[in-house]
Amino acid sequence: MNEKSARILAAVFLLGGLAALGISWRLGQADAVILHARMPEAGGWTPADLTVAAGQPLRLRLTSDDVMHGFAIGQSDQPAVDVEPGKVTNLTVIFDKPGTYTFYCTRWCGPNHWRMRGAIIVTGERVEQPVTPPLYAQLGLDIDARREAQTIPAGKPSTQRSAEIFAQFLLPSAQSYLSPGYYRSRSPEQVWQDLRDDPHWVHYSDLQLWDAVAYIWQANTTPEALAEARSLYARNCAACHGESGGGDGVFIGGQVQVQGEAHGFPPGYETVLPTDFTDPRHLLAVSPAHLQGKIIRGGMGTGMPMWGVIFTEEQTWALVSYLYTFQFEEVP
Amino acid sequence: MKRIVVSWAVLGAAALLVAFAPFNLQPVTSNVERIFRVEAGDFAYSPAVLHVNPGDNVTIKLVATDVVHGLYVDGYDLSVIAEPGQPAVLSFTADRPGTFRLRCSVTCGALHPFMTGKLKVGTNLLLWRGIGLALLAFLGILTLRSPGLPIVH
Repeated sequence: MNEKSARILAAVFLLGGLAALGISWRLGQADAVILHARMPEAGGWTPADLTVAAGQPLRLRLTSDDVMHGFAIGQSDQPAVDVEPGKVTNLTVIFDKPGTYTFYCTRWCGPNHWRMRGAIIVTGERVEQPVTPPLYAQLGLDIDARREAQTIPAGKPSTQRSAEIFAQFLLPSAQSYLSPGYYRSRSPEQVWQDLRDDPHWVHYSDLQLWDAVAYIWQANTTPEALAEARSLYARNCAACHGESGGGDGVFIGGQVQVQGEAHGFPPGYETVLPTDFTDPRHLLAVSPAHLQGKIIRGGMGTGMPMWGVIFTEEQTWALVSYLYTFQFEEVP
Repeated sequence: MKRIVVSWAVLGAAALLVAFAPFNLQPVTSNVERIFRVEAGDFAYSPAVLHVNPGDNVTIKLVATDVVHGLYVDGYDLSVIAEPGQPAVLSFTADRPGTFRLRCSVTCGALHPFMTGKLKVGTNLLLWRGIGLALLAFLGILTLRSPGLPIVH
């Protein structure tokens, strides 16, 4: 009798323990999404689409099936986390606003690293907000047109050279040159030409006018924005465009041949090299709005990714102003 | 019998000398700046072998040319991670003589375990001591083997 009850007791304890383990495991796993990261050539993110309701926590268990990856969400302050093979990174995110968000890989995991993206669809009551198209679209710029500056400065324009010319900007007649609307919609070359044609500026030399152009640029950015853009550039752009902006990044040898008109390649292929930002003929011919368009939309058929879903508007403008540091003397 | 004791004593003394003698073969240098630019790509470091003298200030600029790579220095327990476009710099004083393995610290692909290099700080004394001891052991076999043991063919 005693032995029988002991057996029953042991069985109850054993089953109870197993059930408790199972239930706690279920609870711990509840609604956690296991997100596998693979190199884009091997499939990228699995699953690539996630859905969550606004205000609800999205629990992610991130792991990698091959190499080191990173996880970040575009246009959010969520810091990037590393996703390593053999490890699980737990991450919980909450979205307040409904909409579609992009998550992307933050570690260079392969030649197609930048294609490693996925979408998070946040459902909920959508408040219709008027959407303002980006400036380049408002202006109707053809951002694929090749532009080349006809007039370039003899030396690097600097805001440090002559203080005298910048006193001009205190005059009411010059105020409009400093407005963001003016600065963003005109290329440095156009600004220079406007100043050249302005009777108030007739006494100044060509280089002094270029200094004034640099001043207008500097007035429309801040050291903080440039510092943020410097790190964004290093993380996202420098691999192709080069640390010094020369279009000579480490990936230049591995440029993927892309569809297009061509010479020197089989019909239908050409190699589009990254833009050289140190070439004044190129960079001084394009307006901030043009560069904004390139960053937002990407290169369309070149290796340049689209960043519109990843960078915020402020980050994009900061990057645009940072690009001009390859032409203008930097703010000390 | 006496011969064996003397042989043991001589060989033992030689072994101790080889193993522990403070050989001072290292050129006396101090605080020389050694700057290396190491390119990491295709599961290899280039250059893969770095020579420095003990006491040198070593600066390694790690440039990743394809995917994210790392550099871990065995023995010094230092590591750094570089991404394409973002070179990383590792600076340290080579105060431990010897030869140390460099290895990639980031899982970078299928051949990641084979991505290695070497940091040589001065002469590889450990290696030479090892060779010396091995030779002594061989000598010991020759001199100390029991006489009269039949050699079976």
